[in-house]
Amino acid sequence: MSSQRGLFKTSVMRKNVMAVTGLFIAFFLVIHLAGNLILIIPDSWFPIEFWGGVANQHDMYNAYSHFLVHFWPISIVAWLLYAAIIIHAFDALLITLRNRKANADDKYIKKDTSTSTWYSRNMGILGSIIGIFIVIHMGQFWLKYKVLGTEPDLYDLVVATFKQGWVIILYLIGIISLGFHLVHGVESAHRSLGVHQKPCIKVLKYIAMCFGIVMAVLYAIIPIIIYFK
Amino acid sequence: MKFTLKIWRQESPKAKGKLETFNLTDVSEDMSFLEMLDMLNEQLVTEGKRVVEFDHDCREGICGQCSLVINGQAHGHNKHYTTCQTHMRSFKDGDTLFIEPFRAKPFPIIRDLKVDRSSLDKIIQAGGYISAFTGMAPEANTINIHHEVSESAFDSAACIGCGACVATCKNSSAALFMSAKVAHLAKLPQGQVERQERVIWMVNEHDEQGFGSCTHTGACAMVCPQEVQLIDIAHMNFEYNRAMAKTM
Repeated sequence: MSSQRGLFKTSVMRKNVMAVTGLFIAFFLVIHLAGNLILIIPDSWFPIEFWGGVANQHDMYNAYSHFLVHFWPISIVAWLLYAAIIIHAFDALLITLRNRKANADDKYIKKDTSTSTWYSRNMGILGSIIGIFIVIHMGQFWLKYKVLGTEPDLYDLVVATFKQGWVIILYLIGIISLGFHLVHGVESAHRSLGVHQKPCIKVLKYIAMCFGIVMAVLYAIIPIIIYFK
Repeated sequence: MKFTLKIWRQESPKAKGKLETFNLTDVSEDMSFLEMLDMLNEQLVTEGKRVVEFDHDCREGICGQCSLVINGQAHGHNKHYTTCQTHMRSFKDGDTLFIEPFRAKPFPIIRDLKVDRSSLDKIIQAGGYISAFTGMAPEANTINIHHEVSESAFDSAACIGCGACVATCKNSSAALFMSAKVAHLAKLPQGQVERQERVIWMVNEHDEQGFGSCTHTGACAMVCPQEVQLIDIAHMNFEYNRAMAKTM
């Protein structure tokens, strides 16, 4: 009989780790999007005397980001998120290396990939693009605003950043990759965790598809609207 | 019909293989794919050359012995068919056919198109069995099973162990094969005795044999000759997590 493997070393357990961290990051994406949609809400939509006299986009956004940095429970969630991203990436690397080892040395000479979608086969590449994007994105805002504190007015920093054409292109590449990553990832994560009831599996596919598309579209319009405003 | 065949030739497990081209004419459209290879081999014998070796047994789509990746697809382009049930009429006259063995680290090539799939047997040996009373055969209706449950269990039990799922998987994972057995036995009352340990033993053995992990691309279920469903893999994951939670 085979020897007992370490708890987090089996192929199924490794995918569980991917699923849990992935779904946590996906949940964060919803919150992150909700907050940043302030950037595209016109001033006229804010009610007068909204939230203690803050009634325009600039002040509202800065009040929101000030709250995120100074409300302590948020920092705990933030550290959990950094950990989740690092574990997700590290686990993906381990799984990929193992999978490469499982493949035969000779590759198929004639390939036919019609049996699966391109994005489900290239989660690693999409994830790497997203990883690079996250580093750039955090360097642009998180580092300057939260860590170094060199840019106290986050709203002005965001608008100035999104007025550059190359930034928009970079964001679109990152966001489109994220959309495809989510379409496959959200469905696959539930399957990895053991969701196998027929009605659930049937709707899961469509929920994941909608989630990926809606997230990508809403994230993409923020920099585009700011650029053209 | 006329075909240009590009067939993988490899002397031994360690030898370097390469594609060899053959031109075959007067192929009947009523021939099965394996009969077409038989025809080629008869010609090679008369020419005094070594025949192309390939796996086969029942030739009626139930034994799981035939393999082959034809034009990049395990068991060929017909969905849910075995190679032996694929007929030459489903190809176009004059086609070039790439014929390669099932490729995965745990499926070492024996010679040409023949591969050793005993790694799959090892997974079954690790937990794909049940405990039962010996002696007289029990009365058939001793255990009542709901019709839907028995149908669903039979859908999973239909796996013939050909390994097409592994051959087509980008990670060479045997998740579909393994999960078919796990789901089959987990659904039935007879499978309850080892329910908890079975899935852990089988997953451990699967990894031990060097198979990769499942990415849920769904390619395996698309080529499976027995139409084993991708949902079985999710069921296996559920069983694994349930067993882990219970043993902790």
